[in-house]
Amino acid sequence: MKYLQLICIEGTTGTPEAAAAMRDNVGPWVQETVARRINIVGKPLDDPASAKTVRVRNGETIVSDGPFADSKEFIGGLDLLDCANLDEAIEVAAKHPVSWFHAIELRPFPDGLEIPAIASEDLRYLLQVFADEVPKPPEVEDAIRREGEQWREAAGDALVFGNGLQPRETATTVRVRDGQVLLTDGPFIETKEFLAGVCLLNCQTEQEAIELAARFPLARHHMVEVRRFVDL
Amino acid sequence: MSLDAEQAVQAAFRDEWGRIVATLIRRTGDWDLAEDCAQEAFAQALASWRRDGVPRNPGAWLTTVAGNRALDRLRRGARGTALLEQIAHDPLRAHDQDDDEEEPDVIDDDRLRLIFTCCHPALSLEARVALTLRTLAGLTTAEIARAFLVPEPTMAKRLVRAKAKIAAAAIPYRVPPPELLPERTPGVLAVLYLLFNEGYAASSGDALIRRSLCEEAIRLIRLLRRLLPDAPEADALLALMLLQHSRRDARLDANGDLITLEEQDRRRWHCDEIAEAEALLTGADPPGDAVPSGPYRLQAEIAACHVRSPTDWARIRDLYGRLERITASPVVALNRAVAVAMAGDLDGAVALLRELAQRGELAGYHLLPATHADLLRRRGDAAAAVAQYRRAVELAPSEAERRFLRRRIAELEA
Repeated sequence: MKYLQLICIEGTTGTPEAAAAMRDNVGPWVQETVARRINIVGKPLDDPASAKTVRVRNGETIVSDGPFADSKEFIGGLDLLDCANLDEAIEVAAKHPVSWFHAIELRPFPDGLEIPAIASEDLRYLLQVFADEVPKPPEVEDAIRREGEQWREAAGDALVFGNGLQPRETATTVRVRDGQVLLTDGPFIETKEFLAGVCLLNCQTEQEAIELAARFPLARHHMVEVRRFVDL
Repeated sequence: MSLDAEQAVQAAFRDEWGRIVATLIRRTGDWDLAEDCAQEAFAQALASWRRDGVPRNPGAWLTTVAGNRALDRLRRGARGTALLEQIAHDPLRAHDQDDDEEEPDVIDDDRLRLIFTCCHPALSLEARVALTLRTLAGLTTAEIARAFLVPEPTMAKRLVRAKAKIAAAAIPYRVPPPELLPERTPGVLAVLYLLFNEGYAASSGDALIRRSLCEEAIRLIRLLRRLLPDAPEADALLALMLLQHSRRDARLDANGDLITLEEQDRRRWHCDEIAEAEALLTGADPPGDAVPSGPYRLQAEIAACHVRSPTDWARIRDLYGRLERITASPVVALNRAVAVAMAGDLDGAVALLRELAQRGELAGYHLLPATHADLLRRRGDAAAAVAQYRRAVELAPSEAERRFLRRRIAELEA
């Protein structure tokens, strides 16, 4: 089963203790998960303040500065994991130092999804696609699906990987406190509109990423958040 | 003849439901299919057994019929072919047809797999309890909804959602490996204790369903103990449940009103269950201060003190003190205050209660003023006691408890 591991930062990033733990333990975590063929690819994200939120309304593209959810909590990075089952994903998440100080959200992808090898250098921008649970008329759903396929073709090589996630009720949030693994049924941030899918882009400029976000069919109904990946 | 058939189906339901569902889930990976086919097998049993008599081995009969139903459905379904292929290569597969005599170990493993999967910590606690009752104990959605006082569609949605998460997030259908057992077993015990308490608490709900919740919890903890022999907290939890359940016929009077422990007719306690619990506790090492005892062990030791005569209140007080240190629970602190009073220090107990009231964690909990009232009554302070009883009446969740408290007020005002 493939999982999206979201690095969830709660409040401030920077106690010296947390910083030291991250510095000392993220490297060995990556080594171990790569050696076990669990870690497909992963990368940290730039400061959420640099995010752009893209909506398209009445044919007009509206780009606003900052993340869509205005909260102290934010996503600081992500990994794509290939695990035998949820227990293995939890075991791996509980070894990641972020779960000791903040939290990790595990979201399953649809069963049977194949993910080809991805080079970390190819990850430059992330599109986070948001949706809500309100069902749309079937013709709208069909149009979104059709346009999604067209979008995929038009994006070409700029799209490294893109896929929808299983519903948010299937999320599990992992925290480790006092050596105990604490699990929560559900996502890290509860908002009306929630993360429904991710696209990893290899485009050169933010402008290109914003244009791709604006052409994404769900941008007309909800929103797409553009984030920049950074090198470790 | 037909009465025999009905009784046989009922008996088989209690004993076999969870086992059949557990085995079908392992073979097909499909929770709904497993439940539906088990349901159909029991329906068919009622008709067949009336006509042809009860088979020599009802469990094997039911397993075979349910298994065949599942195969039929899979053959018709789109997904079926691949699954059938997989089942054909399943080394744990049962021998075909009528002689479904799986190794007892495999059967037990199936039920243990089901318990651990239903109680997986990535599911919410309420979903875990509902799933355990539905798949292991065979309660209907309507019965579970009634037991937890939620509308049936809400409970149905909860069950669907939990099963959907198990499938979509790939929660494994297995007994956790040994290194995970210490982390996962307490979660299973917590679900079983919650189940028991839901049945035991007289707060609400249908009395018959409540009693069956207690019996189910006891049955499941017995099963768990058989399957996990080296789990002292599981032994302690069984002892605790048995001690509380042993008083079921003495706890309520003819009107359904609560009778306090002191006033209960001890001849109506189930002595065999008390003896079994005592044996479980004496079999284990005595709880020493040096050895950290688990919360169920301490609670079971306290419950055991309550069934002995005379009651050793100093020991109960000390046990509550240790339980409070582990759990930091204000309810435990409340109980400790009662034990302090009963051990002879009424003033000390009243001081503890005042402190507890100031902490505010138990605001709205009727047993805080009710306990306070009881201590004031024992100290001979009738007016203050009545005032506290009145506050307790306002907060009490059930009519039986309000009647009990009003009776106390009437006694004091007489």
